[in-house]
Amino acid sequence: MAKRYLLTALAVLLVAGALGAQQVQVREEVLPNGMKLLLVERHDSPTVSCGWVAKVGSVNEPPGITGISHLFEHMMFKGTKTIGTSDYAKDAEIMAEQDAVRAEMEKEYTLLREKLRRGEISGNIYDPANMTPRLKELRAQLEKLFAAEKQVIVKDELDQIYTKEGGSGLNAFTSEDQTAYFITVPANKLELWFWLESDRLANPVFREFYSERDVVREERRLRTESTPTGKFDEAANAMFWESSPYSHPVVGWPSDVESINRAQALAYFATYYAPNNLTAALVGDFDSDKVIALAKEYFGRIPRAKTPPPEMITDEMPQIAQKRLEAEADTNPEVEIRFHAVPFDHKDMFAFQLVADLLNRRTGRLYKALVEDEKVAAGEPYGMYRPMKYEGYFEVGAEVKDGKQPQDVEVALFTQVDKLAATPVDDHELQKVKNQELANSFRRLQSNFYLLLQLLIYDSSGDWRFLNDAPAKLQAVTAADIQRISKTYFTKENSGITTYLRKSGSATEDPELAALPAELKAMVKQQVAQIGQLNDRAKLEQMLARMRQMSGQMPPAMKPGLEYIMKKAQEHLDTLPAAPAKGGAAQTTPPAGEQPKP
Amino acid sequence: MRRTHLFPIVAIILASAAMAAAAEVEPAIPARPEQLKYPALAFKVPDAAAMRVKLANGVPVYIAADRMFPLVTVQVFFRGGRYLEPAGKEGLAELMGTVWRTGGAGTLDAKALDEELDFLAASLSTSVGGISGSVSLNLLSKDLDRGVALMMDVLREPRFDEARLAKAKEDMLSDMKRRNDETEAIEAREWDRLVYGDDYWINRLATKASVDAITRDDLLAFHKLLANPANFVVAVAGDFDRAAMIAKLNATLGAWKPTVEAVPAVPQPSVSAKPGVYMVNKPDVNQGRVSIGHLGVKRPLPDEFALEVANDILGGGGFTAWMMSRVRSDEGLAYSAYSNYSIGDLYPGDFRAYFQSKSSTCAQAAQLTIDIMNKMRAGEVTEKELVTSKNSFTETLPRVFESKLRTVMRFAQDELVGRPHAYWTTYRQRVGAVTVPEVGKAARAHIKTDRLIILVVGNVDAILKGNPDHPEAKFDKLGPIVRLPLRDPLTLKPIAD
Repeated sequence: MAKRYLLTALAVLLVAGALGAQQVQVREEVLPNGMKLLLVERHDSPTVSCGWVAKVGSVNEPPGITGISHLFEHMMFKGTKTIGTSDYAKDAEIMAEQDAVRAEMEKEYTLLREKLRRGEISGNIYDPANMTPRLKELRAQLEKLFAAEKQVIVKDELDQIYTKEGGSGLNAFTSEDQTAYFITVPANKLELWFWLESDRLANPVFREFYSERDVVREERRLRTESTPTGKFDEAANAMFWESSPYSHPVVGWPSDVESINRAQALAYFATYYAPNNLTAALVGDFDSDKVIALAKEYFGRIPRAKTPPPEMITDEMPQIAQKRLEAEADTNPEVEIRFHAVPFDHKDMFAFQLVADLLNRRTGRLYKALVEDEKVAAGEPYGMYRPMKYEGYFEVGAEVKDGKQPQDVEVALFTQVDKLAATPVDDHELQKVKNQELANSFRRLQSNFYLLLQLLIYDSSGDWRFLNDAPAKLQAVTAADIQRISKTYFTKENSGITTYLRKSGSATEDPELAALPAELKAMVKQQVAQIGQLNDRAKLEQMLARMRQMSGQMPPAMKPGLEYIMKKAQEHLDTLPAAPAKGGAAQTTPPAGEQPKP
Repeated sequence: MRRTHLFPIVAIILASAAMAAAAEVEPAIPARPEQLKYPALAFKVPDAAAMRVKLANGVPVYIAADRMFPLVTVQVFFRGGRYLEPAGKEGLAELMGTVWRTGGAGTLDAKALDEELDFLAASLSTSVGGISGSVSLNLLSKDLDRGVALMMDVLREPRFDEARLAKAKEDMLSDMKRRNDETEAIEAREWDRLVYGDDYWINRLATKASVDAITRDDLLAFHKLLANPANFVVAVAGDFDRAAMIAKLNATLGAWKPTVEAVPAVPQPSVSAKPGVYMVNKPDVNQGRVSIGHLGVKRPLPDEFALEVANDILGGGGFTAWMMSRVRSDEGLAYSAYSNYSIGDLYPGDFRAYFQSKSSTCAQAAQLTIDIMNKMRAGEVTEKELVTSKNSFTETLPRVFESKLRTVMRFAQDELVGRPHAYWTTYRQRVGAVTVPEVGKAARAHIKTDRLIILVVGNVDAILKGNPDHPEAKFDKLGPIVRLPLRDPLTLKPIAD
C-alpha cells in the first residue's frame, strides 16, 4: 500500500513539475503621480473587469474615528462636483449649513457625555430618551437641511450612468487593510470607467454625510446585532487582539461612527486617497497601450499628496496567557480556537496555508479525528489561515456533536495541532495538499473578476507578485517547516478560545412546556433555569420536598407548571454526583483527565 | 500601378501621424460622461447548435474546448428532484445529494474514493435540488481519464455507505436545529408557505421524523429514478481536443442505455394564503424583516421583458431602482431594499419586495414600498428610466457568455427546462422593443396590489408600536393581521409564543 502511494506521489510530483504553475502576464505601470496600474489582457469576451484599491482600512483608524474607512466607502458613491447634483453651488451652501448645525449638536453631545460619566443619565448619549430640548431643535434644523439637500441631489447618479451604459456589479468593500471599488463594463465603454473613477477621486463631494449614517446603522443592525453570533464575533476579535488596531471592528464602534464629522473625513481622504496610495487593475478585453494613455489622461490629473500616509506602527504585544470567551447564543454549540500567526508576505505564510489544507476536508486530519474516530464534532471541522497586512492568525473550529461538550472538542482540536508539532507530516499527505494547491492555483485564475480582486487585495496587502510567486513557494514547503511553525505558534499561551453554548430556551421547546399558558411558561422557565444553576444535592432535595407538599394546595391552572418544574428538578438532581456517605470514602468518580496518578 | 498604391499609403501614414500628434496635445476631458463617444461593441450570442452533440444513447452534450488552463469540467445535469420525494421521506433529495458523493462508488469504499479524489485534487460533487440536480467533475486535464472513470462509478454505482448516511443525517439534524436562529431563515420558510400553500412540494420540508425514516433502500430507489440517461443534459468545457473528448464521452456515458421512462413533470401550485399581514414574533432582534408580494408567473409569457423591466425599475435594479432610492437613500430606513420577480420555467415563480428595517420603521417602509408598487402600476416610468433599465439587460448580455464554461452550462440548463435558444438570439431585440406604456401594463397585469401577502418577522410588539413621528404608517391599515407561530425546528409544529 505504502509503496503504491509513493509511486503515485512521485508520478504526480514529476508531472506537477512539468506542469509548473501558470504565470499571469501582468503589465505594471506607475503614473508620475504615484498611482499604480496593473493590466491583464484577455480577449475571450468583450468585457473588462476594473477596479482600484486604496491602501487603507480599519487598521489605520485611531480611537475616535473607528469606522471612518467604511463610512467613507459609502461616501464615495455620493457623487462629485458634477455627478450627483443639479446645482453644486447650492449644494455646497447647504452642506456648510449642515456642518454648522452639526457642530452645535456636538457641543450638546459633549455635555451629555459628561452627564453620562457623572451618572446623571443612562444608556448612551444618542438614546432618544436623552435628547435635550436644544438637541431636538438642532435635529429639526438638520432634518430641514436634509430635505433642502434632496432638492439638489441627483440620486445615485453614478450607479445610473454605469447601469445605462451596461456596467454591472458596481460595488466596493472595506476590510481591515484595504478599501476596494470595482465594476465590470462592456469593452467599448472603458473610457467611461476612467471618466467616472478619476472624477470621484479628483472632485469628490461627501453628500448626505450625516443622513447616510442611518444606513450604516442599519447595516450594523443587519450584520452584527440581528445575527445570532455577530456581537460575539466582534467581542472575540476585540479580545484576541490586544495592542493591534485589528481589535476594533471594520464597521467601527457605534460611538465613533455617530460622531465623525466632515472635516475629519476630508483630512482622511487627502491622506489615504491620494494617487500615491492607490493601485488600479484591469482584466479583460482591451489594448494595454491605449489603457495606459487613458490612465495618464484621466488619473494623471490628480496630484500626488505632499506627504505619504503615516505608517501603521503599533505591533501586537506577544500574548502571555490563554484568553477565553464563553458565549451563549441562538446557535448550535461550537468551539473556535485562534492562534497568533504571521502576516501577509511573511516567509512562513505558505506553511500555514498547507497546515490549513492538512486539517480540512473529509480526508483531512480534523474530520478523521473529531468526526470519525472520536465522534465529538458535527459537520466538517475546519482550519483557516488568515494573513492580514500587519498580523495574521490561524483558526481551528468545530461544531459540538449532540451529547458532547465544548470541552471535548477543545481538547480534540488541541490534540491535533499538538500532533503537527510532535510528528512530521508524511510525504503522501503533504503531496496531497500540494496537489490541491497546484490545481487551485489554476482554478483561481479563471474568472476575470476574481483575478481583478486578487490583484487588488494582494497589492494592497503587500505585493501583487504574490499571485505568481505563491504556487512555487507552496510547493517548496517541507515537513520540517510545518513542524517548526506548529511548535512555535500552536501553544496554549498563544491562543484565544471562543465557545458557544445554545442559549437556554432558544432550542427546540419541550412540548410539555409549549402547552403551558404564556405567563406561566415564563415563570416556569425562569425557575427551571435557576434550578439548573444549583449544584448542591441537599438543597435541591429540600426544594423538591417542599414543592411536593405545595402541589396539593396549588390552584389547578398552576399545577402543570409546578409539575414541570419538579420533573426538571428531579432530572437535574439525577445528573449530580451522589453525596459522599457520612464518614465514608468519597463515592464520586473524579472527572475524566484527573485520575489520580499511580 | 506602383504609384497609385504608394500614394494612399503615404497619405495614411501622414494622416495617422497627424492623429497621433493630436492625441498628444491631450484632448480635453469632456465635461460630462454623456459626451463620451464609444466604438461599437462586437458581440454575437454564441451558436448553441454548433456546440451541441448527441451521444450514442441520445444524451445531449454542449461542448467547448478552452485551452487557457490545464483544467476540464464535465457536468451532468439531470431532471428530477425534491418534488419527487415520497411522502414521509422529506429530506431524501438533500440526503441523496450528499451521500451520493460521500458514500463511495464502484470498487472504492467511501474513504478510498475521498482519498483518491483528494490526491488528484479533483472536485467531484453531487447535488439534488428542487426540480433538477447535477453530478459535476472538475480536475487537471492530465487526470481526465481517471476522473471520468470515477465519475461514471459515482453516476452508475454509488455505494451509499451506511456510516456516511448516518453522518449526513446527523448533520442534517444539526442544521435543522438552526432553523429559527436567523430571522432570514424564518422569513424564507414562512414566505414559501404563504405563497405556495402548505401542501405544495416546496413546503414539504424535512423533519426529524422524516429524516429518521429514510433508509439506504430509499436512496437506491431514488437513485434509480434520477440517474437515468433519459433525464440527462451534459456540459463540457476545458483543456481537451473536441473530437477526442466526444469519443471519450461516447465510450463511457454514451454507452449507458436509458432504462426507465424520464421523470414525471413538475406539479403546479394551487392555493396561496389570503391577502393580509402575517407576523412572526422573534422578540430578541431589533430589526424586522418584511416581505411583500404574491405568487408569480411562468414562461412562455408574451410581456416577459416588460415585466422584467418593471421589476428592475421597481426594486430589482439595486441603487438605480425606486425601492433602494426611496427606502434606503431618501429615508435611511433600510440598508437593503429590493424586489424580485422570478419568472419560472416549469412552475410559477414569486413576486417579492423585501427589506430589513429597525422595528419602529418597518410599517413606514412597508407603506412606502406599496406606494411605489402603485406608482409602477400607474405607469409612472420615465423614458430615461426605461432606457437605463433596458440597457442594463442588453448591454450586460455578453457576461452571460463570458467564458466557454459559462456558455455550455447556460445552454445545458436551458435545454434541461425547455428554454429555446431563440430566447438569447432575440433577447436584445425583445428588450429593446419594450415601451413605457407596456411597462405599466405589465405591472398592472402581474403586480397585484390588492392581493398582497405581507410577511413580517421580528419583535412584533415593537414593530406594531411603529414610529411616533409617523403615526399614519401602521400595519393594521395594510390588511388583517394574522399572527403566525414560530415552528419547532425539528417537527415544524407550531410552538406557543
